[in-house]
Amino acid sequence: MSDFDDLVGVAWSGLRARKIRTLLIMLGPIIGVAAMVSAVGLTESAKGALQQQLSQLGTNLVIAQAGGSFGSQTPTFPGDAVERVENVSTVESASATTNLSGVIALPIKGASTYYEAFPVPVRASDDQLPGVLGVPMVSGRWLNASDTRLHTLSVVLGEGIAKQYGYLPGESRTIDLSGTNFGVVGVLGAVPLDPELDNAAFVTQWAAQNVFHTNGQPNQLYIRTQPDATQATAAVIPTAINLGGPAQSSTQIPSDVLQAQAQANKTLQQVALLAGLLALTVGGIGIANVMSISVIQRSPEIGIRRAVGHSRSKIGAQFLLESLFVGVLGGLVGALLGIVVVYTVSAFSGWVVVIDYAQIPLWMGLALLVSITAGLYPSIKAARLEPLETLRLG
Amino acid sequence: MADTPPAGTGAVRPHPLLELESVSRVYGEEIEVYALREVSLQIHPGEFMSIVGPSGSGKSTMLGLLGVLDLPTSGTIRVAGQDVSLLDDPTRSKLRGDSIGFVFQQFHLIPHLTAVGNVETALLYRDLRPKERRDRCRAALEELGLGARADHRPVQMSGGEQQRVALARAIVTEPLMILADEPTGALDSTNAAHVLEIFANLQSPERAVVMVTHDATVARRANRMISMRDGRIVGDEYRGEEPR
Repeated sequence: MSDFDDLVGVAWSGLRARKIRTLLIMLGPIIGVAAMVSAVGLTESAKGALQQQLSQLGTNLVIAQAGGSFGSQTPTFPGDAVERVENVSTVESASATTNLSGVIALPIKGASTYYEAFPVPVRASDDQLPGVLGVPMVSGRWLNASDTRLHTLSVVLGEGIAKQYGYLPGESRTIDLSGTNFGVVGVLGAVPLDPELDNAAFVTQWAAQNVFHTNGQPNQLYIRTQPDATQATAAVIPTAINLGGPAQSSTQIPSDVLQAQAQANKTLQQVALLAGLLALTVGGIGIANVMSISVIQRSPEIGIRRAVGHSRSKIGAQFLLESLFVGVLGGLVGALLGIVVVYTVSAFSGWVVVIDYAQIPLWMGLALLVSITAGLYPSIKAARLEPLETLRLG
Repeated sequence: MADTPPAGTGAVRPHPLLELESVSRVYGEEIEVYALREVSLQIHPGEFMSIVGPSGSGKSTMLGLLGVLDLPTSGTIRVAGQDVSLLDDPTRSKLRGDSIGFVFQQFHLIPHLTAVGNVETALLYRDLRPKERRDRCRAALEELGLGARADHRPVQMSGGEQQRVALARAIVTEPLMILADEPTGALDSTNAAHVLEIFANLQSPERAVVMVTHDATVARRANRMISMRDGRIVGDEYRGEEPR
């Protein structure tokens, strides 16, 4: 049994002997840590659903839009824009779509007046689009190489338009695209980063060029970049596409908007953190106060311990260890309490719980630091106590 | 101590357990108050000594110095041959814990600890396994007839029992000297007689027992009586058994 084990036993029994007092001085670290854990937890969890969605979508999607060019109504990119973009080293994958603005899609014969007034956008796309967007198919399949090679007249619907058309999964259905019937082969899932795609119908580039007689030059590029290089990549993409010519495109990072929405209320968080810190500090002063009084109350105990051979440093360590236990236990209970608060409030508010567990040891360490600092003065006082003065000899 | 002669042979005296050499203890800085003035005293193994005197005679100061709870302003105190003024606090504390067992008038038991817990305080920081430490403490309590009270707290015990717990705490370390301050002061006559009886039995050829008291009847139980007045030793008489 080492001296340290003995010391731990002595300090622990000292705390246990005064349970109410121990609990009361523990309230400081408990409230402080609980406040800090719940402050961060609650402000983050309030935006938890958005943050969760964002982490699924990824923040590394860049959309490039062709800018206005002279002499053409619909601005376009060069036909090999995807290859050019993929030359940028930070680009992981890219896909192009072409707006077929002249094509009228009619899901039902006889509804032409309505659909001519409010046309469904039709886009030609390569076979990469769902992969780049990271969006799964709701049903069926995406356009693929066979469609191009076999010249099939296939169309994929966005999720929104599929609902509007009343399309059932697996249903054998044709849609009239400017007088040609196209067979529906699949439905693309919702695309939160570009909701326009939800209401579009997609055909192959082959169909765009050979059925609708367009030049097949894309208008939009969807680009996935390396996760930490999104901003930089977005900045160089116009140059990469136009190869040094005048920039005729603009880029945007659609997740930026979402990200701004998902940002926790930092001001609120800081105010609550400050309140927690204040609780911890006041709690520390409380510990110092109570421990100082305790040293006076327990001076006979200190005297007798000195008499039976405990050194000054052992007495000091005993009291310091008591405040250390208060800090450790208070921090632990406070962290648990904070987590419970976050889970409870989130459950009632329908939030997705976001707790940064890596931060919690930091708060607990802070509680420990405050407790030890608070215990320093009483410990030194206890160690300096003269046994003769405390034992009231006859 | 194999070379200690049996009591009463009057042969070679063993080395003193504790030795005071012209020790003075002065309190106050601007106005100096001599609590003890040029006192010299030797305490030998086997002695049962009482220190008597009216209040203010320097008894308490003497007790503090004998117990190495205090240091002299001038002069030398040697415990087992070591000058205590030259030791650092941890070493002096260890020396105190190893060689001296204290018994106080007010018992000074730690209220939140049981009898066995109180006795255990004397055996802490000694590299003992908890089981061994506890066994030794229970044995000491058993020896003083408190086996059944081992797990009781001080408030659950009578004054006499509490003082016996304090005695167990004093003897569990097997000290060379038991130092008692008015050990019967807070007890009724029956309990006082019982405790004095135990004290008389604690004395052994290796161990000295020193009692500080103002009660002449208690003091007369000892076989050496030191009288103090105004910070000086004014009497040193051997009673009963003659010095060895």
